[in-house]
Amino acid sequence: MAPVLVWLILLLCLLISIVKYTLALILKWSVPGAVVKKDYTYQPTVSVLMPCFNEGKTVYETIESISKSNYPNERFEVIAQDDCSVDDSYEWMLKARRDFTNIQVRVGRNTVNSGKARSVCNALQHSTAELVISIDSDCIFHPDAIRELAACFSEPKMGSVGGRVGVRNPNESTITAIQTFIYYAAFQIYKVPENWTRSVGCISGCLFAIRRELLLEIEPKIRSRHWFGIPVNQGEDRFLTHQTLLRGYGTYVNNDALCWTTVPATLPDLFKQQLRWRRSIVRDLFYTLRTLPQHVWTLHPNTVLTLVLTPLGALLGLLVVLTMLSGNPLEWAGPAPLMVYLSVAAVLSWVIRKYSAREAINNPLAFGAYLAWSLVSSLFITTLALCTMDSKDWGTRTKEQEATDDDASRQESAC
Amino acid sequence: MTTPAVKKAPAEAKSSVIQPLLYKSVVTVYRVFAIVTLYVVLGGVLAYGFVMGFYALNTSWAAPVILSPVDDKSLDFTEKLVTSKQTLEELSVDKKRLEGSIDEMNRHRAALLALEPELHAAIIREKKHNQATGPQLLELDKQKQADNLKTQRVMAQVKEVETAIDKDLAAGLITKGDAATQRAALNQAESSYTDSKISEILLTDNVLEKTTVDTKSLNVLDKQAELISEIAQLDIAIGVAQKQVHEETQQIDRLKQALTTAKLSPYYLSVAGDSAVYFAFVPYDNQGHVSTGTTVYDCFLNMVACKKVGTVKQIFAGEEHATHPIFKTDIRGFLIQMQLDHPESAKSKTVFLNRKPLFF
Repeated sequence: MAPVLVWLILLLCLLISIVKYTLALILKWSVPGAVVKKDYTYQPTVSVLMPCFNEGKTVYETIESISKSNYPNERFEVIAQDDCSVDDSYEWMLKARRDFTNIQVRVGRNTVNSGKARSVCNALQHSTAELVISIDSDCIFHPDAIRELAACFSEPKMGSVGGRVGVRNPNESTITAIQTFIYYAAFQIYKVPENWTRSVGCISGCLFAIRRELLLEIEPKIRSRHWFGIPVNQGEDRFLTHQTLLRGYGTYVNNDALCWTTVPATLPDLFKQQLRWRRSIVRDLFYTLRTLPQHVWTLHPNTVLTLVLTPLGALLGLLVVLTMLSGNPLEWAGPAPLMVYLSVAAVLSWVIRKYSAREAINNPLAFGAYLAWSLVSSLFITTLALCTMDSKDWGTRTKEQEATDDDASRQESAC
Repeated sequence: MTTPAVKKAPAEAKSSVIQPLLYKSVVTVYRVFAIVTLYVVLGGVLAYGFVMGFYALNTSWAAPVILSPVDDKSLDFTEKLVTSKQTLEELSVDKKRLEGSIDEMNRHRAALLALEPELHAAIIREKKHNQATGPQLLELDKQKQADNLKTQRVMAQVKEVETAIDKDLAAGLITKGDAATQRAALNQAESSYTDSKISEILLTDNVLEKTTVDTKSLNVLDKQAELISEIAQLDIAIGVAQKQVHEETQQIDRLKQALTTAKLSPYYLSVAGDSAVYFAFVPYDNQGHVSTGTTVYDCFLNMVACKKVGTVKQIFAGEEHATHPIFKTDIRGFLIQMQLDHPESAKSKTVFLNRKPLFF
């Protein structure tokens, strides 16, 4: 009975995925309602919150890119919040404040290392704007990013809006090439049906705009997030999106609001990042299941399906891979699946080259490695995520930084 | 600008004393469970990788196969075997019948051949006789005709004699009795003449028969031709039958050969074997480790703590296809028969030939 149930759920996940992707293409090309009506005359005051930990000069580049935004300078500010970096990130923030005088840059510093989510909350304390945009400090932003995000809030029930995250280093390695494909497909296709119902399940923390009042309402929940007493610092973007939806607001991804992030270039870094994300997915699934009746009554069915089946599919993927490895271990290595993957890669590669030349991939065959990665991802990351729910490790940091972070997390020591 | 440390949320501050303890207990249990799980997973992954690597490199494994008389291949084999045996029996019976027919036809042919010279001799003999008696009869026929001619002239006077008798009777010269006697003598003479004419005609016919080719001779020749034709037909029939017998003999030989080969098949042993027979599939890659008498090992977890469980009894020549017990790919190989001291080893996923795979 149990295997039948597992397969049924997987089949459902697969069907929903196929329907979603097909629907996405139909919506994208033929349904105007799938895209929000943007009002560029709507220009609320904006605070760009930039939590930072050990990013070095990158924070300077990030603030520089924001300073070039096509948005009235007097209507936006940058609040950079250093989370007790052990490198010179703070100095770079101060330098940015000195150099980019065309905009208001505020620089703050946590007294203790608190993690990204709490750093955002700390930065929020200094904001008085109508709109808050939380960004990652290692991203580069398109000049129109703020304008594009703000324009979407002309819809009164719009709670959170995300931008499209591109890859800064698509050709650094096979690993980054794979991620470029995934990022592009996720934003340009997978999120389109969710956009249609204004119910995007997870807006990327790289570029996350939210009404300040709403964020203030959610802030206590962010601060008090814990897993059996252990503070949760990860997955604040998924959590914020989820909370936005539960409060009856819409969520949306505006693919015209662009930013570019540096994705992990090595397998260990990617593994750690994906592990952190998988923990968030699992945690979010448990939260969803725990409060399922509330979800069913409050949210759009598409949203409930997204919130339940996407993480459930990731969990059951583990069972699929186990079944496959114990049944027919070489099934995935046959020419047929490889051809399918390479065909998908060829199409995606062409689309990316045509519509986002900056992310053009030199070697589309790299996508073939996704096959192996998906095995690793399904088999190890889900298992490890389930067994390390108590971890506070951010993952993608150097040894020195991790040591400092661990120490800070353990003792909440002063900077 | 330095942001002060954030105060603990009110909910957290008000949490009871029990809750932290509860959380701590849950987290401890979870961590123990997680560590055990992760070690199990790690162990599983390493073991899986080792098994994969082991079977990718090992060339001495064989996969025991239990052939059931009711599985598809055995049933198919049995069906073909029964059909072949039935065909063989039918061919044998048919061959015997044909051979009987040939014997019968040969005897008949011999009898006809024996008749043919006798007939020929009789014809010659008759021809010779006719040649001898024909002229004599012709002479006699001529003489007879001359005799009859004379008699005819004599008979012409009978009317006159009858008239004279009537006159003498009327005159009372003779009595009625004398007259009747004389008339009877005259009738007898006429009758003799008539007989003589008949004899003449018969004689003429006889002469004709003996001096010319008549229908009777033609009948005899026809009979002779029939005899020759019948012999020829028999020759053809015998030839066809002999060819058929030859072909059936060849077919029987082939079938017997096929059956002999089939009896060497593992499926025959499986179907016809009185006692349990144990087989194993050996991929071609592992062929080098197989020979009759090679030791068979069965191992714990299919690779360690191996023990000797038997020997290779027989190697079958036919190619077999099987699924790799670990990689699940289609592989080609052949079957061997094992002499097992531990029959339960026939149920193992794999056995090893010639040596222990990991030397223990």
